[in-house]
Amino acid sequence: MAEHEGLLAAAAWLVWIVPFAAALTMPALKRWQGRVPGWAAIAGAAASALLAASLLPGALAGGEVHAQTSWIAAVGLEAGVLADPLAVIMSNVVAWISLLIVIYATGYMRGDPHIVRFWFWIMFFVGSMQLIVLSDNLLQMFFGWEGVGLASYALIGFWYRDKKKDHVGTEGRTVLGMLDYYAPTHAGMKAFIMTKIGDVMMLAGMFLIFAYAGTFGFRELVGDTAWAEAMGAQGLLVPALVLLFGGAIGKSAQFPLNEWLLEAMTGPTAVSALIHAATMVKAGVFLVARLGPIAFALGASGLLADQFFEVVAWVGAITALLLASQGMVNPEIKKVLAYSTGSQIGYMMMAFGVAGLSEQFVDGYTAGFYHLISHAMFKASLFMAAGSLLHVVGSRFMTDMGGLRRHMRKTYAFVWAAGLALMGAPFITTGFWSKDAIFASVFESGSEWAMPIFAIAVVTAVITAFYTTRMIGMVFFGPKSEHVRKLESEGHGIHEAPLSMWVPYGVLAAVTIAIGVMGLAFEESLHHLFGGYLEESFGIHSPHGEGEHPALPAPLSGLNPVALGASLAAFGVGIGLGYAFYVGRWIDPARFVASNPVFRGMHAVLLSRWYINAAIYWCFVVSPLWLARGVFRYFERTAIDAGMNTGLERAVGWAARVVQGAQTGITQSYLYVFGAGLLLVALMLLM
Amino acid sequence: MVTAILGAVGVALPVINVLRRESGSNMFYAAIALGALAAAISYVVSQVAMGTVAASQVLSGDVVADDLLGAFFAIAMLIVAVFTTVSSFAYMRERRYPAVYYSLILLSAVGMVMVAYANDLVVLFVAWELMSIPTYVLAGFNKRDPSSNEAAIKYFMFGALASALIVYAISLAYGLTGTTDIAGVVAGMAALDASLVPLALLAGALFVAGFGFKMGLVPFHMWLPDAYEGSPPPVTALLAAGTKKAGFAAAVRVVVIGMAALSVDWALALAIIAVMTMTVGNVAAVMQKSLSRMLAYSSIGHAGYILIGLAVAPYSATALPGSLLHVLNHAVMKGVAFVAIVGTVTALATAHIDRLRGLGRRMPITAVGITVSLLALAGVPPLNGFWSKLVLFGAAIDAGAAAPWAPWLAIAGVLNSALSLAYYGWVIRKMYFEDSGGERVREPRAIIAVVAFSVGFMVAFGVYPEPLIQLAQSAAPASLMP
Repeated sequence: MAEHEGLLAAAAWLVWIVPFAAALTMPALKRWQGRVPGWAAIAGAAASALLAASLLPGALAGGEVHAQTSWIAAVGLEAGVLADPLAVIMSNVVAWISLLIVIYATGYMRGDPHIVRFWFWIMFFVGSMQLIVLSDNLLQMFFGWEGVGLASYALIGFWYRDKKKDHVGTEGRTVLGMLDYYAPTHAGMKAFIMTKIGDVMMLAGMFLIFAYAGTFGFRELVGDTAWAEAMGAQGLLVPALVLLFGGAIGKSAQFPLNEWLLEAMTGPTAVSALIHAATMVKAGVFLVARLGPIAFALGASGLLADQFFEVVAWVGAITALLLASQGMVNPEIKKVLAYSTGSQIGYMMMAFGVAGLSEQFVDGYTAGFYHLISHAMFKASLFMAAGSLLHVVGSRFMTDMGGLRRHMRKTYAFVWAAGLALMGAPFITTGFWSKDAIFASVFESGSEWAMPIFAIAVVTAVITAFYTTRMIGMVFFGPKSEHVRKLESEGHGIHEAPLSMWVPYGVLAAVTIAIGVMGLAFEESLHHLFGGYLEESFGIHSPHGEGEHPALPAPLSGLNPVALGASLAAFGVGIGLGYAFYVGRWIDPARFVASNPVFRGMHAVLLSRWYINAAIYWCFVVSPLWLARGVFRYFERTAIDAGMNTGLERAVGWAARVVQGAQTGITQSYLYVFGAGLLLVALMLLM
Repeated sequence: MVTAILGAVGVALPVINVLRRESGSNMFYAAIALGALAAAISYVVSQVAMGTVAASQVLSGDVVADDLLGAFFAIAMLIVAVFTTVSSFAYMRERRYPAVYYSLILLSAVGMVMVAYANDLVVLFVAWELMSIPTYVLAGFNKRDPSSNEAAIKYFMFGALASALIVYAISLAYGLTGTTDIAGVVAGMAALDASLVPLALLAGALFVAGFGFKMGLVPFHMWLPDAYEGSPPPVTALLAAGTKKAGFAAAVRVVVIGMAALSVDWALALAIIAVMTMTVGNVAAVMQKSLSRMLAYSSIGHAGYILIGLAVAPYSATALPGSLLHVLNHAVMKGVAFVAIVGTVTALATAHIDRLRGLGRRMPITAVGITVSLLALAGVPPLNGFWSKLVLFGAAIDAGAAAPWAPWLAIAGVLNSALSLAYYGWVIRKMYFEDSGGERVREPRAIIAVVAFSVGFMVAFGVYPEPLIQLAQSAAPASLMP
């Protein structure tokens, strides 16, 4: 048995080490160019996925593998892997979706001259992501955290030559005098800097906790809660947790650090699918899932972290609504999906936040995590399909598509399947079950904020169904756009994407439906698993099992009727409106907006991103630059340059010349110095 | 055992040369020398790895102590000897008398290893001379090059002086205690009559000066830049990274132990020397035009850092481990930097910093080696140099509880590290951000091998320093810990 555990621990280490090793071999494969690096990446991703899968049986049985090794004993740090149910499930989601996206990318990126760099960063990313998931302490996790941030930066700006086709936004459009049109290099920098703001907060939170607890370990923090009592006594507990949550806000593109995610769409679409939809942006959610139970379990010793959970819930709710609303008007397919991603992550945060405010922690916890899994699948599928469309049509604007359903039948079908999941189509999609679980957990939480948050969740669901239908309608229905007609007249007929591309998103779309059909059973087993996990590892006991609602017929009796009704209504209203505008095309959306100054104003606000992005640029980019110029002219030039710099340089130069002057090259003088030194030492000792 | 292998091969090489009656097959002799060194190093490492080596045996009373302290220094110095030999593949290709050359390196390595293990003053002195004399010859190996001659002469004169001082110190110690065994000397010193203590201190001062010559301590350092710059670059690697460490090995065995026994405040004297050494080394390095001369001064600076550990050894348990760690790290960092210079000298015939412009493009691997080693020398995390400096400076701060002046050593060390980054950064800037437009040149394979190993070492033990720290901790003599 012990040997078996040792093997599992080794597997848990290798899950993240193997992708790093694959990344390091990439430069060596440069010589072959062509397909070899792609095959190597597939091999690395597959090996990592199989290793992750080997951890699954134990975790599903509620077991955990925790292996530690001394890392830097001088400061008492340990490195370790913690493969508990949470980590193992997350790790498998990451690993298998990565594998599919890597396969997809071998098709999508074929022929790119910088393919080795691409694969290096992709594998580096996968390794870092798995490091986040499997770390047993905050500090080690932070290394992975920064690793994914670095990979994200490098891949957003992958097409660093900033060609026009790689930009996002509409050329020439300005908001409050700021160009809403971004080059890949700028976008990469923006993502990096904005997420760093969160990361700095996270570091501060980490070390604040470390200062009291003397450990970064997740298990150790649960074991002895003296640190929390000490921090609570000084009123530092909630601030520290919120600071940690700052990291999650940045990484998961939550309000107010949400704006980088839109420009992140300058990266290759495979990257958007992998990093900016399925995995990296979930790191923040994962962090909350890691910390949430620790914070909640403190309640047992009388330390309530309610304000922390309130912050989480409200940030999630605001983000969900804010980003979904902008998704309704944007003309770029990838940006619509990006808005949707941020918004759906908002749902997850909402679920985790509400979980902490309710007695039934496990309900919200399961709902949030279930939504994470289902979103990872359907959104990755949608993104890859969008990549196919971009690939075929050669434009990121949905207005350049239209009428594609007859030409790309497979993609069309898969987008419907995954799109329905995003909309929450009842009873057959994972999205429906997970979203319904969130609704129910919010509704039943008993928190004072339950009703407003529930209302926001429902409105967001309506909007979600609307913009998804809009996207499908604009791309696949209606007349062909001028752009498509021009392509056809030039002999570039619209055709299905190659096999290596459509298979991955087809698989994900099929899985979305397959799990959807048995969604309730899936949710119940997840609920059961997490219930046991939370009880065993954190001592969080949920007072009753899942609520029974006899009002509903037998197979649905586990559902909350209000949540179910709201969910069905939201889906119906959203898809109905979307159908009327964009599929049936009974109402012309442009004329509808123009008909009324209120609609016009709203449309402008939404298209201008609520002016948040422009405001951020004015406050944190433009004004500091002015300030910097002023400081440069009036302070740097005069005080620093003329005074300190020249002065210091002269002083060091003078000292160096003095020392060198002594270095005459004459042996006699060297000997004098030697003798003097000997005397000096003798005198110092004899004194 | 180790010495036997190396000694036998070292003596055998010239004999083989005579028997073969030919000259110039550089690779042949290099391979033999390398084989001998590899056998020696793997023997020592395997002994340590198997855990059969006893912890520090400084006071055991044996003539030669087979302990971890010795093994630790032996590993560091043998690594450097291997570097020197390997880089000489490239350097000696067009040069004459390879058999003699490699034989001298081996003999010097024998001396270094013996210094590391010696536990008796006479044995120590013999080993010291065995180590030094071949290097005098090696420094002047380019006999038609005046600067090589100058290097050899200066080095030799100071070496002779230092040896004389050491002998004098030994004779004083013997006169005072009636034995040359280190344990006996220490015991004798501890029981010394008060009126004789000044004589004992004089012996100590002579030891400091004699060993300090090799260590490059200010003010016994004057010969060093001239000798390092003028010697053939592989030999410089041996001097800067290898024999210099022998000085520390001897100092740990003799000075530090003696210091504890005499219970007189030597520590402050060493501390003053440490600060002088690091400051002079770093300040002088700032303005250098030649990379090897800059590194020569930088190694003076590093001697200062290492000396911090020796100075605060009586007050902090982590001080000596810190010094040992830095000895090993510095051997690798400085060794590879000089080996990279061998690369530029063989490929581009220069080590002038201005001529290194665009090296990042012309010799990418060499440039990476220089960059990583310079960053490690500056103590940039996560490279190995960071950890040894951290341990050293941490020890100095810890020692503040017993010796109020000790934290100033840490402050001086940090300031000097910052200053050193200025000139290291300058070199890196030249290599990567300026371009000379020169063609890409072929990098010698031997250099690539050394660079690959060392970069791996510096990064691996930078990310995961624990094994080295452990080893250094168990190697440091524990008897004088408070």
